[in-house]
Amino acid sequence: MTTRRFTGLLLAVFLAALGVRLVGLGLRPMHHDEANQAVKFGQLLESGRYVYDKNEHHGPTLYYFSLPAARAAGARTLADLSESDLRRLPAVLGAAVVLVLALLASGLSREAVIFAGLFAAVSPVMVYYSRFYIQETILVFSLAGLLGAGWQWAKKRSVGAAAAAGLFAGLMAATKETAVILFGAAAAALIVVYFFSGQERVKFPVRVHYLGLIAFLAAAVAVVYLFYSSFLRNPDGPRDWLSSFATYIGRAGGEGQAAVHRYPWYYYLKLVGFNHPAASPLWSEAFILVLALAGAIAAFTAVRGRDGSPALQRFLVFFTALAAIAYSVIPYKTPWNVLPFYLGVILLAGLGAALMWRAGRFIVFKILALIVLVPGLANLAGQTYQANFVLPADPKNPYVYAQTLPDFQRLVGRVEDVSRLVPEGRNILVKVIAPPDETWPLPWSLRRFGRVGFWTDAASAGDVRGTPLVIASAGLAEKLEPALSESHQVEHYGLRPEVVLTLAVRRDLWDKLMAKVVAERKGP
Amino acid sequence: MTAKFPRVAAAATVFKVAGAVLVLAASAAVFMAAGAALAAGPGQDQDKEVLKLQLPKPMFVGTPRNIKTPNLETVSGRARGPFYVPKGTTLLSLNKPVAASDKEPVIGEIGFVTDGKKSGEDGYYVEFGPGPQWVQIDLGATYNLQAILVWHYHSQARVYRDVVVRVAEDKDFIKGVVTVFNNDHDNSSGLGAGKDKEYIETNEGRLIDPKGVPGRYIRLYSAGNTSNDMNHYVEVEVYGTPSK
Repeated sequence: MTTRRFTGLLLAVFLAALGVRLVGLGLRPMHHDEANQAVKFGQLLESGRYVYDKNEHHGPTLYYFSLPAARAAGARTLADLSESDLRRLPAVLGAAVVLVLALLASGLSREAVIFAGLFAAVSPVMVYYSRFYIQETILVFSLAGLLGAGWQWAKKRSVGAAAAAGLFAGLMAATKETAVILFGAAAAALIVVYFFSGQERVKFPVRVHYLGLIAFLAAAVAVVYLFYSSFLRNPDGPRDWLSSFATYIGRAGGEGQAAVHRYPWYYYLKLVGFNHPAASPLWSEAFILVLALAGAIAAFTAVRGRDGSPALQRFLVFFTALAAIAYSVIPYKTPWNVLPFYLGVILLAGLGAALMWRAGRFIVFKILALIVLVPGLANLAGQTYQANFVLPADPKNPYVYAQTLPDFQRLVGRVEDVSRLVPEGRNILVKVIAPPDETWPLPWSLRRFGRVGFWTDAASAGDVRGTPLVIASAGLAEKLEPALSESHQVEHYGLRPEVVLTLAVRRDLWDKLMAKVVAERKGP
Repeated sequence: MTAKFPRVAAAATVFKVAGAVLVLAASAAVFMAAGAALAAGPGQDQDKEVLKLQLPKPMFVGTPRNIKTPNLETVSGRARGPFYVPKGTTLLSLNKPVAASDKEPVIGEIGFVTDGKKSGEDGYYVEFGPGPQWVQIDLGATYNLQAILVWHYHSQARVYRDVVVRVAEDKDFIKGVVTVFNNDHDNSSGLGAGKDKEYIETNEGRLIDPKGVPGRYIRLYSAGNTSNDMNHYVEVEVYGTPSK
């Protein structure tokens, strides 16, 4: 494949990846976790201050990366931003993974990189979580950068490439604490390839490149220190980051509150392998998995391709397998954690597809390969469409996890409707009385309201009889019943499956609202 | 070493790999595929008897949230108290014909509404399209209705919106129309604002007292629920006595 054709194809794949990630970013209601991250970012946006929290929210890259775009768009407060504004960052970085893969072309072959880029562009799970305002896509982008720059370093023994690899490694560490799993898997894979993979074909540098190593470490440490210290404003940040591992090790075991996220070892395999709920399409990325397995096996045989590096291909096999095993044996699981090691799966699938493409010189082999590859890609694209644009918040979609229901938007709409009936408008008093896990994403959704208070128990919220709007968890609503039964009209809205919120509208405002509704139904 | 192998061999290897993977995938797929009767209470009216109900087994895991609010009835976890009906009251709706506003359910069949099966599992409920929908049961003759039990969907805590139950003597709901339940508090269905309370779905179903009104057709409305916009029915039971 010529350089011009490779560049053109890769750009086309990137644009396709970008398009599918950027369209309709506001379709899905804000997830609990996204709202959490958004409010944390809002603090940085509004005050210019960020302090790393070793118990929640992960690393700071998400917020600092969000800042330039938000400011460039003229946003000064969280109220100036929409869901789409925030999700644009992970969406762009998710697509940019395709471009970064170009760094691996000399080790995997250009065909493999194009195919891997195509899989990354249309993989339902990759696209779905690229549209989430969480850290995962930054982690995947940085991992792709580490792999690409690391390969360039290994191949060229360049200090610049080593520094770039260190930069990406630092970004991984500054994005999410679980990056250490990927570092461990990468280190173990390097050792396995070096010692047990037939050194006559291994082209990794046998001699240690000390200058490069220094550049790598210096870049990584500098990035980590700068981000966790809030760019030198919070000297305790790096130390807090180091002490955070105790918290995350406990959480990984699925103890305490994390127990609700305990799943069996095959959780991730099932997530991307096979899901077929009632009245739902069949969800499966088996096409990618099968090609990845073919690519992985081929990495150890003589059919690995004419211009690839067996060392890199085998490194990817070991890295992907070890990372997948590590993530799978940890009892605590959330579906977006599949992404980092799924990047390895996609690279191996690219390898498998390239082998199929190059199986024969004659045109008939190309046609046969297309007969397999085109329907497979079309099927993945169809699933991506379903997951992101038809069922983005529907539990039938296997990637939907603890997702805020669309019904919740109706609650927010009702609050908006009532606020239009009072002179103070969005400064209407709203009391939210709910435990934290039944509160989010309200702080985000009500960000444009000036007087919203949050309590976790009914007693602390004080007298609610005169309060215009009370939002309560169903569990706490019972305690509010004596106060609200006469003074308010109560409605119910779904927050998440099994979780119902109550909205109490003061009777005089309810009557006004109903009068307005009746008038609107009658028309002019 | 690569150069020693012809490309045909490469293709053969790929196909062998694909075969092995198919076997693995099939194995993985196989691997992954993975009542409360009412008791008669003291002080019973001589002319009445306890309505005996056949309830499905609970589907909730653990104790559900206590969702007692001014407009939502308590999920106590205890069996409902006795409900008295005139002697001679029988189940009238079993296997009776059902019509629906949505002729082509998304899941299940319209006949599930009166098939007598009340399990909360998949395969026992019918799902109708989004927004306001209704189902209608034809009892075949006019009866004095003594109790109506509705199970929309009881494998998940959710509230169905705008539940309205009406009784009539003709299928077009023109003659003798009586509304026996209505919790559409904002009149979004246009059938009049109701004062009945919303309730969370449980395996007990919702027991509606039609107070002996005469009717042959029972129409049940709903307009989605707190989990999604769809409408579901596991079962509807109508009890009554012959009309005099």
